Amino acid sequence: MPSWGGEAPGVMARERPTMRPNPQIVEKLVEATREVFETMVFRSLTTGVPIEGDALRPSSNVVGTVGFAGSQSGLVAFYSTLDAAREITGAMLGIEPSQVNGEVPDAIGEITNMIAGSFRTKMAAEGDAWAISVPTVTVGSDFYIKPMVTGQRVLVPFRMGEAEVFVELILMRHPR
Amino acid sequence: MRFLVVDDSSTMRRIITNTLNKLGHQDVIEASNGREGIERLSSLGADLIITDWNMPEMSGLEFIRTIRRTPEHRDTPVLMVTTNAAKDDIVEALRAGVTNYVVKPFTPETIKEKIDAVLGR
Repeated sequence: MPSWGGEAPGVMARERPTMRPNPQIVEKLVEATREVFETMVFRSLTTGVPIEGDALRPSSNVVGTVGFAGSQSGLVAFYSTLDAAREITGAMLGIEPSQVNGEVPDAIGEITNMIAGSFRTKMAAEGDAWAISVPTVTVGSDFYIKPMVTGQRVLVPFRMGEAEVFVELILMRHPR
Repeated sequence: MRFLVVDDSSTMRRIITNTLNKLGHQDVIEASNGREGIERLSSLGADLIITDWNMPEMSGLEFIRTIRRTPEHRDTPVLMVTTNAAKDDIVEALRAGVTNYVVKPFTPETIKEKIDAVLGR
């Protein structure tokens, strides 16, 4: 449940939590996300309580994903509503959200790329060497990511003014 | 002074171009990958190149290695703007011929400092 009180409006309860990633890894993901928003979007994020496992899934219109592989493999996903994505895009480009037209997918792709890249760098300092993919962005209505592998996942809610955005980390298990 | 900005993200190209414009640099040309960057360099030339690393078709590293083999651009300053900021990444980029390095996310001040540094100001 997000720390600002009550269940986030964009989040639906589904299943019970499963496996939890290391809290230090989640902290690095939070740091990376906040740094990207403060520097490139000029917005401070309030971090909610990370939601572990497959318990809650954000309702969203825009999802950016970047895969990584190396000493661990997985996925970083960024979720937002279309209105929040327009606000983010406008802030990055120095224009009003109402002026944003077709720029949303590229801007959200770049945000996801920067979050994943900054997270990768923080993990590299701990000895984890990963390569990351180019970002993919999906725009639609009320969907979520369902990885077809066993692994750990955590969804971190952030409040950006009146809007909510989410960053998810999926760590896949290496076969033994 | 002409700048060439090479990045597959149109958002990032616009952010860098806007930053350069605010710093007083109006002559900015753009390319969306290394291959396009080589074409722009051949036809228009550039005094300073700002390039991303991870791009489809031709990466920033391949782009830099290619232009460093030409006499025209053996010494052209190249600033790499990328999320790849691990120690090994920086070593690899410098070996490929990068002059200086900007880690995303970045502030306009960082871009200015790095440009000044590569131009020896």
